[in-house]
Amino acid sequence: MEKAEIPFLSVSQLSELIKSRQVSPVEVVEGYLERIDRLNDRLYAYLTVCHDQAVEAARASERELARGAYRGPFHGVPVAVKDQLNTAGIRTTCGTPMFNDVVPDEDATVIAKLKAAGAILLGKLNMTEFGTTSLSHAFATARNPWDLERFTGGSSSGSGGATAACLCAASLGEDTGGSVRGPAAWCGVVGLRPTWGRVSRQGLRPGMWSMDTIGPLARTVEDCALTLQAIAGYDPHDAYTWNVPVPDYRAALDGNLAGKRVGVVKELLYAEVVEPEVRDAVSQAIHVLAALGAQVEEVSIPLTRHANTISSALRVEAPTNYRALIQERLQEIAHDNRIAYLTWSLMPALAYYKALKLRALLRQEVLAALEHADVLVMPTMGSAAPKIEPDPIIDSKERSNRNRAGLTTAFSLASAPALSLCCGFTAANLPIGLQIGGKPFAEQTVLNVAYAYQHATDWHERRPPL
Amino acid sequence: MQELTTEEVRGLGHAVGLDIQDPELTEVTYSLNALLEDLDHINPPGLETVEPLPILLPPC
Repeated sequence: MEKAEIPFLSVSQLSELIKSRQVSPVEVVEGYLERIDRLNDRLYAYLTVCHDQAVEAARASERELARGAYRGPFHGVPVAVKDQLNTAGIRTTCGTPMFNDVVPDEDATVIAKLKAAGAILLGKLNMTEFGTTSLSHAFATARNPWDLERFTGGSSSGSGGATAACLCAASLGEDTGGSVRGPAAWCGVVGLRPTWGRVSRQGLRPGMWSMDTIGPLARTVEDCALTLQAIAGYDPHDAYTWNVPVPDYRAALDGNLAGKRVGVVKELLYAEVVEPEVRDAVSQAIHVLAALGAQVEEVSIPLTRHANTISSALRVEAPTNYRALIQERLQEIAHDNRIAYLTWSLMPALAYYKALKLRALLRQEVLAALEHADVLVMPTMGSAAPKIEPDPIIDSKERSNRNRAGLTTAFSLASAPALSLCCGFTAANLPIGLQIGGKPFAEQTVLNVAYAYQHATDWHERRPPL
Repeated sequence: MQELTTEEVRGLGHAVGLDIQDPELTEVTYSLNALLEDLDHINPPGLETVEPLPILLPPC
């Protein structure tokens, strides 16, 4: 196989070739590095490329294979991670030049787990500043591989862009209100927000402690399952991870939807922010699920309409992480984050308490809907990726951030898993995302519904015009 | 609900150790008023009695 063709393989395909010694980890890593070197100046997906470390790790990986020490499906497979995750000896900027000199001593737990599984770290991926859900990048703005004039989505912008552009086999992002699922939708890949507590956050630079969740992005559902397998599980260093067994996610992918109950969240499918092309594509996807044997019916979760407002009122958590910077270096923070951090810092306690109660009610509504459905489906984003434009000045209440296109926040507030995968393209050839949510710790069910859909369609086989 | 003025928002800032000046002050005032207004309009049944449970605690 030509080295230049290697990056287009899925993790599972690549894994088989490495295991059978048809390609070597060094060839694989070199294939990816050459592609990154050729395209990153256009995509700005990577903030740091670990050339030397990756090649060295690939050689070590090859030596292990030669002595029969095969680690599993990620042996020799190149991955990349959002620059919000600590990496030993490699700078971790969290998307801001203010942290240019931050070089952690230790890997985040998920990085250590990926390495233990045999994965090779290619580098650190671009992200919006501090990982807020804004679109502001303090470094160069990550570009959407489907149209370089458009956003990738945030905050895991480089994770979406790099995965779609085949600049890594799979990646990790972090999802607070939708930061994995949004880029997955706009870049046409699969992105999973696991249950809060399923994956350790030790070594993650915090956004909102009560909602931050690390999740995988990949080009196939199977690869997403493999990546989750590598990172999931109890961690004594994260008090909120659950010490419960981790299922075999790949083995759960049988694609059988017979009798599965699929609830369509009508408040989100028919939301005003959902453009007709998106609604049509998601509706078609729902027909596909029904044709595969699922029992489909509409469900109502009224508070999902207010999820972004509830979440915004809770975001007082975010500026507390960077209080000294906000007080002393405010003008170095990007405009939209500056306004957001100041606003969230002033949230009255009674309003915050009301938002906490609303979150509890919303969670009850989501879980009640999941009593009658195995999964819930809805669009991920109301539109396809928008053009990159300067952040507007807020000169009225209407121009503030309250009406976001994202439809992802309800599952974040409910601490439940949700996944986005491509379910079509707009007339302008931009990907559209279908969101599938499930019960807490039922990632295998969510993944299996997505797997069945992906196998029945071919959207995931399209490649960006690079 | 009554909207906060820029001076009141500046005062809130002082209360939490932030000296907010224009041009940010005007934008923050719009932003905070919009958020509080939206939140004020959300009053579903059960709000009075529900206990806030922000997170899913792992079993001991």
